[in-house]
Amino acid sequence: MRLLSGHGPCCDGEVNSAAANAALVFTAEMYGLQLDQLAVLLGGTSRQARSLVTRWAGSGLAETATLGPGPPWVWLTRAGLRACGARYAAAPPALARLAHIRAVTAVRLALDTVPAYRDGGAHWRSERHLRGRVRIGARDHLPDAEVHWPDESGLAWAGECWAIEAELTAKTVARTTAIMRELLSRTGDYGCPAAQSRVPGEPPRHARAVYLCSPAATGTVLRARDALGAGRIEIRSLPASAYLAAPS
Amino acid sequence: MIRRTRALAAAIAAAVLLAAGALVTVAPLAIAIAVLAVILVAAGGAGAAWLRGWPARRLYLAAAWSLPMLAVWLAATAVSGHTPGGAVRNAWLAVRHHDLLAVAIQLVPVAVPAGLALAGLAWSWRLAAMAAGAGGRSPGAAVAFDRRQWRHQVRAARARIAVPGAVPLLTARGDFVAGAVIRAVGHPASQLTRLPASRLRAHQLVIGGTGTGKSTLLLRLWAGFMAAGLTRHAAGLAGPPVLVVLDCKGGADARRIADRARRVLHESGARNVAVWPDEARLSLWELPVRELVTTLVDLIEHGTGGAAYYTDVMEAVVALAVEAPCGPPASTADFLARLDAGWLALAYGEHLASPAARQVPDVALRFRTLFRRLGPGLDGPGSLADADVWYCILEGTAEVRVAEAQARALVDLLASYVTAAPAGQVLLAVDEFSAVSRRLPIWQLYERARSLGLAVQVSAQSWHGLAARDDDRYRLAATAEGGIWLLRTPHPDPVVALAGQRTVTDSARQLTGRLRWSRSGTSRLQAAPVADPDLVRGLDVGQAAYIYRGGATFTQVKRLVAGPAALGRQAPIATAATTASDRHDRPAGPPDVSARPDVSVLPDVSVLLDAAFGPAPGGRA
Repeated sequence: MRLLSGHGPCCDGEVNSAAANAALVFTAEMYGLQLDQLAVLLGGTSRQARSLVTRWAGSGLAETATLGPGPPWVWLTRAGLRACGARYAAAPPALARLAHIRAVTAVRLALDTVPAYRDGGAHWRSERHLRGRVRIGARDHLPDAEVHWPDESGLAWAGECWAIEAELTAKTVARTTAIMRELLSRTGDYGCPAAQSRVPGEPPRHARAVYLCSPAATGTVLRARDALGAGRIEIRSLPASAYLAAPS
Repeated sequence: MIRRTRALAAAIAAAVLLAAGALVTVAPLAIAIAVLAVILVAAGGAGAAWLRGWPARRLYLAAAWSLPMLAVWLAATAVSGHTPGGAVRNAWLAVRHHDLLAVAIQLVPVAVPAGLALAGLAWSWRLAAMAAGAGGRSPGAAVAFDRRQWRHQVRAARARIAVPGAVPLLTARGDFVAGAVIRAVGHPASQLTRLPASRLRAHQLVIGGTGTGKSTLLLRLWAGFMAAGLTRHAAGLAGPPVLVVLDCKGGADARRIADRARRVLHESGARNVAVWPDEARLSLWELPVRELVTTLVDLIEHGTGGAAYYTDVMEAVVALAVEAPCGPPASTADFLARLDAGWLALAYGEHLASPAARQVPDVALRFRTLFRRLGPGLDGPGSLADADVWYCILEGTAEVRVAEAQARALVDLLASYVTAAPAGQVLLAVDEFSAVSRRLPIWQLYERARSLGLAVQVSAQSWHGLAARDDDRYRLAATAEGGIWLLRTPHPDPVVALAGQRTVTDSARQLTGRLRWSRSGTSRLQAAPVADPDLVRGLDVGQAAYIYRGGATFTQVKRLVAGPAALGRQAPIATAATTASDRHDRPAGPPDVSARPDVSVLPDVSVLLDAAFGPAPGGRA
């Protein structure tokens, strides 16, 4: 999803409205993102990204601030979320989750670069979207995202639903195994009645779980997969751009 | 009674004043300190009993358990050449030197048992006064006291079951533990609701509405039966335990409970848990010939009156098909093929006499329709001996008539199995019995099952769900010799009446003014239900009243924590191809290796992931 490439020209270095709208929805789904990631998303320069954020902030659609090391973050205001048709609570990205949000965004952007992903029409269902569906107090573990592959995509894995997990820090093997088991045994959609969440005999919701791991977490995830013995878990390394800049 | 309690209160107050006075003036200060320590312990004990809703017996027991400490202290004092009075004097010296640790060491061995015994006396007096309605400022005080004590007892029971390992499934003696006792009336007031394991092998009744924790209780009872049964089997006392659950509700909820039951029962020792008809089948055609004829005829609902003629005709035709010289049918298709006048004539070597010959096509039509609706679940292969637990899901909500026929067939199969192996331990649990009660006269099984080692456990949402007629309901309840579990239900009165009554003291107090009552009045003995129906109506989730032999124990049921869910399959389970023998090859206990998806079924996505994120770290498993 490089929004500027192939979507028409920019006007004096500014992002066109279609690309801006798509970026607005992207930002809403990901809680927020840093300007460098917005620039990657737009397929443009950091000046273009900053210009777009200025436009959004001027319209009251977004706010921006330096929340941590690295470029400033941008997130949508209530008006911005309403413009996207999203019913999430408007709030800046939680400081404790900045690294995780950046990592998940990097995973999504990395997938966007693959032609099979773009051409296959895969749909990214973000954690924020899933969280909005589950009832308050539910103890289901939510994946960081789901990737839905349409039946008509023509790919070998068409029709599958993948659970995406970005692992920056190592949990215990037992906890990781429990999460893997929960992801792979779930049969119902998030927010469905509890009786339908795990129905024996029904096909699982997630055909596979894709773990994107930092070097610190890779060993634990590998051991958890071995302990579980499930062949439906794919493990890869997080992209280099997934990490927050080191504090100066 | 009222005057007596006032006298007791006055005596205790006098004792406290005496101790305080002695502390100041009369008695030696050291003795006064000892008396004060006893009173402090007594106050603490009584306060703890009030806060935790303990019976007075608990305080007496605590006092008894602390007596060894007193004995050791006396022995040590004698060995050291001191006297107990000298120890008290030492305590006083320690007080003067502000050495509180020394004070405690000197006084605890005496003060604790004496204080706890005194607390027990005071608490039992308080309980008796409130139970008689003689305590408190108004007659309503006793009611408020009872409600408050109930809340305290519930809180204590919940705390007890929350402690890891505090509520085992079976005790070291092999008794079944259901949970923590909230309140016991007519039963021993212990901390845990213990039942001899033999009760699980007797008929039981469970009544509770939706969302009251009935499934949790049932799972615990089943797990207890299985664990105790396996222990007996290992000791050579009985055959292997077999649990057959008929879940007559059906639907997704039944399957969710089946999955939970599978995991819980695995934990309690069951090796194979078969879920019928989703994952395993049974064969109706393994029944002995005579029973097969009866079962087949009973599967079809008949009318009354003039329809009896057609019932007889059908039975005759079915008997001809089943008892043919070539042997009984081996499958549904085989049986249906025999329901043909030509086949029967060939088999018996003669033409059928009228009118049976004319009715054969009609009989065949009815059976074709029946078996189409029943599905393949009863067409084998498989028998009850193939698994430790059979969890049978009957669609009693969506397809009542089909569920009734399936229940009938399954019970007949079970009866045949039990008759063939009478030394076994078999529990038939019928959940949501009301869905199939119309055509499943389970009390017939009740009456002949015990001698065969078969116990029947019936559960229903309400008293009225047990059976269509009141006679049948009472018959079920009266023969539940293993006890009745009563969860929250709006109409507990018939069951509560079965629990019986106890004699209580009821006091009337004189009204002396506006909302003022004197402490004089009259008392009388009267009967009150052992299990208070209002308490039953107000039970919370996970609370149950166990009614047995004229007593009731209110219990906070301990939920069994099941192992993690088995991984789902990539493709729907091929139920048609699954046989009981296949299932037996699986190792028991989660994770269920056979449930893991075949990786080769999943397409390789490495191309995509490698392009996005690079190669997999550590290689592909």
